Amino acid sequence: MNGLLHTVGTDLEKEKAVVVATLVAATGSSSKKVGARMYVGASGRILGGVTIGGCVDAQVVEASDALVAEGGRKLLSISLDDDEAWEIGLTCGGTVEVLIERAVPSDPNDPVVRSHREAAERLAAGEPAELTTALGDGRTFVDHIAPPTTLLIVGAGQIAMSLTRLARELEMRTVVIDGRERYATRERFPDADEVRVGMPSEIVASYSLAKGTAVILVAHDYKYELPVLRNLIRSDVGYLGMLGSRKRGAAVRALLRDEGFSDEELARVRTPIGLDIGGKAPAEVALSILAEVVAVRSGKAT
Amino acid sequence: MTAFRAVVLEHFRRPRNRGAVEGATGEAEGANPLCGDRIRVQVRVDGERVAAAGFTADACAVCIAAASLLTERVTGRPVAEARALSVDALHEALEGEPPPGRKRCVALPLDTLQRALSTSTGASG
Repeated sequence: MNGLLHTVGTDLEKEKAVVVATLVAATGSSSKKVGARMYVGASGRILGGVTIGGCVDAQVVEASDALVAEGGRKLLSISLDDDEAWEIGLTCGGTVEVLIERAVPSDPNDPVVRSHREAAERLAAGEPAELTTALGDGRTFVDHIAPPTTLLIVGAGQIAMSLTRLARELEMRTVVIDGRERYATRERFPDADEVRVGMPSEIVASYSLAKGTAVILVAHDYKYELPVLRNLIRSDVGYLGMLGSRKRGAAVRALLRDEGFSDEELARVRTPIGLDIGGKAPAEVALSILAEVVAVRSGKAT
Repeated sequence: MTAFRAVVLEHFRRPRNRGAVEGATGEAEGANPLCGDRIRVQVRVDGERVAAAGFTADACAVCIAAASLLTERVTGRPVAEARALSVDALHEALEGEPPPGRKRCVALPLDTLQRALSTSTGASG
């Protein structure tokens, strides 16, 4: 729930006090990764979760309600029997440890608020962040947080509109790029982090072309695809996909092969783009693309 | 294949003068707002002559071919001659005309070149 870091500086600022609950350890098969966070406000507002839901989150909320009034911090150790584990997705039981800490969002010197804001700033700059917390029993919890995946979306059509909406839910950054001013507008892309008009190949090349960047070509127009691919095929982007049929993909590869790109390099371009979920509507295509981006990122797609 | 198409494909696959012009004295960028062709033309004017012309484009084959032929044609020629170039002259160089809906793809590089010449610090007249 890395994205909830950002809420420390926004919605939760309205709260007088907030308890930040962090899953710091889990034995057995946890339904969420260590580092998952939940925020419990003094008003009762709950954001995020340290498990998929159910008993553990309920116990954490209960403990947080008490802590938000009393102050301080506490390490909760919650054991699970098999029945409960099944209910909440911990399929083989075990124990989870959750650190709860009270923070005052309006206080810039509050140590929790400060560390979260610093982490949020690094993540917003596309850099990894680290949150280090002493657990109070001699152990220290160090949370290495990767920056969010950045989607560089070339082509400001309907699929791009769906991509920006769905990506927001997935806590991905989106940049919509097109050469056409009437398409790449803030009105059409209210959920995009950036909307850029200009020479797409140059705009794409101006971003960090690292593993955490996914480039999605949905212009369906070779005038953008060829120059963008020329700039990207030899880069380190984590994902490179192009909308189009196998036949069209083969034609684009053939043109680039003539320019000196190798078959191995050209094999990086995913065409047809997205996992095959059978959908044809723009939102369905967008869903299949994002599913593939996630699958590649998590090592589930070759 | 028509002569026009052959010329377009030849210049699209092997564009002349693609890339930045070293020591450019003028530059302009243009776009076809709906089809999305985008081109930047750079020139280096030396006295009364166009010493070099080049372009960078995310554009269709017709537009790139027109830019390729255009920069070839004006390089080394008097600025006045470059300024006087018409779309008809480009059609002639392309050995034909594009379909009606694509004529702006030929006009865009020419218009952008003219603006680049106008902005050139070495421009005369």
